[in-house]
Amino acid sequence: MHISNYLARFRSSCGVAVFALCLGASLNLHAADSTVQVQLDFKKASPRTVEELTERGILRDYRFAWTSIAQALEFNTLDPLEGPFAGDAKSWLKQTVANQQQSGLSQKYLDQTHRVEAVFYAPEGDVMELHDTAEYQLQVSDGGKVIHDEHIVIRYVVLMTPAADRWVIRQLQAVPQF
Amino acid sequence: MHRFLQICTRVALGIACLSGFCRAQDFQVPNAVTAGDEADISTAGSGKGTFYLIGPGVSRKSEVNLGENIHLQAQDTRNAGDYLAIVCSSTCRNTGFYVSAAKPVSLTFLVHPSRVPVAQGDAISGVALPFDQFHNLVLRPLTVNFQIASGDASLLSRPVPTQNGAAWFRASSGKSAGALQVTAAIDDLSVRRAVQQVASDPCNLRITGQRTKVGITVQTEPVRDCVGNPVPDGTIVTFTATSANGKSSVDAPIKRGIAQAQMMASGAASISAASGVVMGNEVRVGAQP
Repeated sequence: MHISNYLARFRSSCGVAVFALCLGASLNLHAADSTVQVQLDFKKASPRTVEELTERGILRDYRFAWTSIAQALEFNTLDPLEGPFAGDAKSWLKQTVANQQQSGLSQKYLDQTHRVEAVFYAPEGDVMELHDTAEYQLQVSDGGKVIHDEHIVIRYVVLMTPAADRWVIRQLQAVPQF
Repeated sequence: MHRFLQICTRVALGIACLSGFCRAQDFQVPNAVTAGDEADISTAGSGKGTFYLIGPGVSRKSEVNLGENIHLQAQDTRNAGDYLAIVCSSTCRNTGFYVSAAKPVSLTFLVHPSRVPVAQGDAISGVALPFDQFHNLVLRPLTVNFQIASGDASLLSRPVPTQNGAAWFRASSGKSAGALQVTAAIDDLSVRRAVQQVASDPCNLRITGQRTKVGITVQTEPVRDCVGNPVPDGTIVTFTATSANGKSSVDAPIKRGIAQAQMMASGAASISAASGVVMGNEVRVGAQP
């Protein structure tokens, strides 16, 4: 009786371990897919000089924002957009996800590299403008079938503002050139 | 035989392509689109196809008849940015186009601070960002006129061109307390903010003191800053009495322009006053008779 109980427990433990391993592997894979490389240059930021702590905050929050965009548009979920975005950028990203949910489309942003330059930092530090030359592999899928797969170089004008505990993207606008 | 059939098939396909049949998914997007404008995408060929439009705030899929125009509604192009159009039938073709911001209809105008002491250098700053009716940042150069006025008097008028969609200014505060009107304008579009100018630190803080039955009454003369503005009520003045028994201090807020305090000291005492970083004069009050 005791032996059969132990065996049952052992099987159950093995099951949990295998599940944890699989979950860990899938999370690792996901993390590898959503790798976002960001290089930031604050030399041209004016009229205010960017403080070192702010530089670190912008780098952390900008990278996180792009990871969130990739997740939201790949899995058609709004949750990743809560936090890193505000204002107009948040509205259009949410609208894109809602449209994708209706049309059955999804987008994958793979191998993202962002070369970012801060070009404006307001005198009181309440708004920063970034110019981002982004490169990524864009995959568009319709119902799981890839209909478009292209390496893209795209330029974004970005407005970030400080929120309670982070910098948020308020404007994210692609332009033909800076 | 099999190889011969393959060659024949390729030749037939080549002839079909030359005569235009395999250009079923060829299409042309507009060269320039302004946000909120309707536009047409022209397609060539015949038969059915699937059209996809992917852009900021848009992810649209629709069935189309190849050879006909695909109409983009104003709501499809309301967000400025990069759009991708894809047409699929047997295979998919794609092309991209940009939508630029429309004319500015609103200005985001950030002004700091809301209260500022008079006669401070570079104490007021403002940033203006023009947006179109769909909240796209207008990036083409525009001239923003910044104006600062106190009553009817204009203290500043400065045209500043936007760079990358932003224009900013920094200015010194005026000399007299009161409301400042700070305006940013592009043509007939203008936004106004108010900045309250308050007196600066007290200047020439002067006190008088006299012995009473219960101690010493000290009070200031009307407290003003260096350009004569009355320092706001509530500003703290610290009175300090130094006598043979030691030192004692009393904090008193300015009320109706004057700070007043009652100090306990039976012997002769020297009394001084300070407000913020400003020291006043010192008075000596004799011992109780």
